[in-house]
Amino acid sequence: MKRINKLLETIGRGVGRVVGAMYQAGRESIDQVITNVLPFMAFISLIIGIILATGVGDWIANYLSPLAASLLGLVVMSIIIAIPVLSPLLGPGAVIAQIIGTLLGTQFATGAIPAQYALPALFAINPQVGCDFIPVGLALGEAEPETVEVGVPAVLFSRFVTGPVSVVLAYLASFGMYQ
Amino acid sequence: MEALVKAAEWFIGLFIQGGQTFSGLVVGIIPLLIVLMTFVNALIALIGTDKIDAVGKLAAREGILYYPIRYMVLPFLAVFFLTNPMAYTMGRFLPEKYKPAFYDSAVSMVHPPLGVFPHVNPGEYFVWAGIANGITEAGYNVGDLAIRYLLVGFVVILLRGIVTERISAIMWKREEQPEASAV
Repeated sequence: MKRINKLLETIGRGVGRVVGAMYQAGRESIDQVITNVLPFMAFISLIIGIILATGVGDWIANYLSPLAASLLGLVVMSIIIAIPVLSPLLGPGAVIAQIIGTLLGTQFATGAIPAQYALPALFAINPQVGCDFIPVGLALGEAEPETVEVGVPAVLFSRFVTGPVSVVLAYLASFGMYQ
Repeated sequence: MEALVKAAEWFIGLFIQGGQTFSGLVVGIIPLLIVLMTFVNALIALIGTDKIDAVGKLAAREGILYYPIRYMVLPFLAVFFLTNPMAYTMGRFLPEKYKPAFYDSAVSMVHPPLGVFPHVNPGEYFVWAGIANGITEAGYNVGDLAIRYLLVGFVVILLRGIVTERISAIMWKREEQPEASAV
C-alpha cells in the first residue's frame, strides 16, 4: 500500500510539473506574441500596404531589384551595411534589417528577384546584427572595461570582413535550391 | 466633390492593402508561432537552463579542438536555451581574451534559427520572415531555406569567432606595446 501511494505521489508530482511548465510556456508565448510580434506585424503591414498601393513597389522592382538580384549587388549591400561607423546605427532592434528584408520579400514574391538569391539575401541584410549592443552584451558576459574597449572595435572591424564573406558562403550554399 | 471622393478612396485604399497584408501575416504565421514557441519553452523549462553551464566551462579551454565548441556549440546552445539577450551571459565562463569573439559569435546566431526555432528571438522575427514570406508567396517551399539558413549560420558564427578572436588579440598587443616602451 505504501509503495502504491509513493508511486501515485511521484506520478502526480511529475504530471503537475509538466503541465505547469507547459501552461507557463503558453503564457510566455502569448505574451511574446502580443508585446513583440503583433506590433511589428502591424508596422510592417502598414509599410507594405503603402508601398504596394502607391506604386513605390513598381519603382523598387524596376530600379532596385536588379541590384539585389546578383551576387555582386548583395555583397556590395552587405559591405555598406557593415561599415564600422554605420553598423552600430543600423543595429537597434534589427528594425532596418527587418524592413529591408520585408521589402526584398515583396520582390521575391513577384519574382522580380529570383528565389535562389533568398539565402545570400538573408545574410546580406544582416552583417550589422548586434553591433549596437556590443558593450551591453559584453557586460552581460561579465567582461572587464578593458575588454569592452578592445571588443567594440574588434567586432566592428571583423564584421566588415565576415559580412561580405557570409554572403558569398550563403550564395555557394544555395546551389540546387529553387531552380 | 468628385475629386474629394477619389482622394478619400485612394487614402483608404492604402490601408485596405495594409490590412489584407496584416491579416495574411496573422493567420499565416501567428498560430504556428504560438504553438511552436509553447512547445520549445516548455521543453526548456523541463530540461533546465543550468545544464549548459558545463559546456561553457569546456569552451574556455585552449587549443584548436575547442574552437568549434566555443564558437558553434556554445553560442547555439546559449541562444536556444537562454534566447536573446540573456544568451550573452554565457560569456562569463570564458577568459577575457575570448569574450569579444564569443559575443560576436552568439549575437550572429540570434537570427539563423528563426525558421525552425522562432522562440529564440520572436521580436526580430521579420529578419527571417520578411524574405521567407516572399518565397512562400512565390510558391516555393520555405523549409529548404530555413534549414540552409541555420546550417550556413553555424559556419558563419565559427568564422566570426575565429576572425574576431584574431583581431582582438592583435589590438590587445598594440595597446600593450606603447605602455611597455614608456617604462
